[in-house]
Amino acid sequence: MQPNGHSLYTPIPMHVLHAYYESPDRSLKTLELSFDHAEDSQAFFEAFNPGQFCLLSVPGKGESALGVANAAWEGDFVRFTAQNVGSVTAALHKLNAGDPVGMRGPKGNGFPLNDWKGKNLVIIGGGCAFSTLYALTKHVHHESHRDDYGKLTLIYGTRTSGLCMYKHDIAAWHEDEDMEIHQAIDIPEDNWQYHVGYVPDVVKQVAPSPENAVAIVCGPPIMTKFTLPALVDLGFSPENIFTSLEKRMKCGVGKCGRCNLGPQYICKDGPVFSLAELNALPADL
Amino acid sequence: MNHILEKHTLQDLLQSWRQDYDVYLPQKMENFSHFMPLTETSVLVDGDPHNTRIPPKALFLPMNEALVKFTRFGGYEDAKHEIQSRIVFGIRPCDAQAVQLLDTSFIQEDNIDPLWSERREKTITIGLGCHEPCQTGFCTTVGYGPFDRADLDAMLTDLGETYLVETFSEAGEGCFLGLPVASEEIYNQALDIQRSAHDQMPVAFETENLKGKLEQNFKSDYWDTVSQSCLGCGVCTFLCPTCFCFDIVDETQRRERVRNWDSCMFRTYSLEASGHNPRPSRVERTRQRLSHKYVYWLDQVNQIGCTGCGRCVRYCPVGLDIRAMLRQAQTLPFEVSHAA
Repeated sequence: MQPNGHSLYTPIPMHVLHAYYESPDRSLKTLELSFDHAEDSQAFFEAFNPGQFCLLSVPGKGESALGVANAAWEGDFVRFTAQNVGSVTAALHKLNAGDPVGMRGPKGNGFPLNDWKGKNLVIIGGGCAFSTLYALTKHVHHESHRDDYGKLTLIYGTRTSGLCMYKHDIAAWHEDEDMEIHQAIDIPEDNWQYHVGYVPDVVKQVAPSPENAVAIVCGPPIMTKFTLPALVDLGFSPENIFTSLEKRMKCGVGKCGRCNLGPQYICKDGPVFSLAELNALPADL
Repeated sequence: MNHILEKHTLQDLLQSWRQDYDVYLPQKMENFSHFMPLTETSVLVDGDPHNTRIPPKALFLPMNEALVKFTRFGGYEDAKHEIQSRIVFGIRPCDAQAVQLLDTSFIQEDNIDPLWSERREKTITIGLGCHEPCQTGFCTTVGYGPFDRADLDAMLTDLGETYLVETFSEAGEGCFLGLPVASEEIYNQALDIQRSAHDQMPVAFETENLKGKLEQNFKSDYWDTVSQSCLGCGVCTFLCPTCFCFDIVDETQRRERVRNWDSCMFRTYSLEASGHNPRPSRVERTRQRLSHKYVYWLDQVNQIGCTGCGRCVRYCPVGLDIRAMLRQAQTLPFEVSHAA
């Protein structure tokens, strides 16, 4: 049962507030959704924590799990960025401002923000998986939360500069002295003034200090696979390395069985796990 | 309380329940038996030591059912289902155990599957113990038994011309009101039958350290060996009473979002939109099936997630036998120091 009295499987009605492409190749589209009912909004923000995800629904196409890409302080809406890869995300890409869309969530555990208080945060993202890290950065960077955390370091890599999401904020953060930001692209481009190379290599090069720090890694499986050991080499303990996992999902509430990683369900027990937790689970990713 | 039920009166008793309940019981269908609603002309299956082909989990989690209805202008509402009060008669203890195991997934605090839960609440389950061991079953090996009560409301023991009826709940007692009370002597006779049935079940494989061996040999070529002849048809999971995975698909013409039974033995089960598949071959999928039953269930609820009904053995088209697979697993290396 959801707070609105509906079954676990029934989406709440939302409308598209803004829809815009993040990248010139139009492979990434951001949707900002408003709630049709104030009580759904209230229930959402009571439960919401950066790092959680929702299932967006298009009737006739199905549902797709997407990370929430906004912080609660930004306002009464929910932001998602979808890469156009499957049938549901293709349908999501066709949506424009004013269109209806269904949503279930927030789902999953989210980042353990309370445990991180007083620590330096090293946020490492790759590609479109950066969305929940964007929500995390926006949350931590906000004046009402900033004093709770130490130094903020951001490492964000994409294949090309065009595929970098949330360009406006990223550009502003480059100017922000409160934050250390390292941006990277995989393939060299003219007039590119930041790193060139894969994220694990950039992490080694930047070599963030493990002193009183936690590292949060979110990216494609191949990036995560090589970044986690790089952080261990830098001296981060497995308890202080976190990642957010993804698997094919259907129900989002730990019933349909699909996203299990050993005895844990990524949708319900995750998606955020520490490396220490992952080390105790089978390598079934 | 314990009652005596004359077999020749069973038909009348079942018919009398129909006034207040939908009554489901195994009935003959071609060359197998199947849980179907009782009608005036239903013929009871007698002396069939086998289980139904499709497990009674289907009575609580139908193979196909609507979850969500699409309304006009992009809205959604819960799909409506009329769920009647029911009596399920003749459920075997392994299947009753399986349904109880599935409760741990579908009925969790603050996370309740409404359809499963309503069907469970509205169903009285009456078991039929297994006085003859079935060929492929191995309930006692995995810690269950041919006369386990699970959370049955009542259970029958076949005494030849009569049944001993043991009732375990008020609802179960209500079904057998007015039947003569069984004497101490008859009850003891039934207990002997129950004990001897239990003792007749062979030990199919050793379960000691089995979980640890499967865990520690996650990357072993054992999995290649045991999955080699698998066709990936999924029948082992489809007919398994403890398998509960489902897919959710949109049926456009019905304007409904529907759940269908699914199987971890299928390639598309875990295939992601990016093309990445964490379980790309039958090796990983076989490992998932066995590990779920013999490792992950134990981690979650400290019970083996297999009740030994033997369906996967009986219906596998290439004769893959989970008992043989697990006997082979017992030969895998195991380090006690690793076992946490």
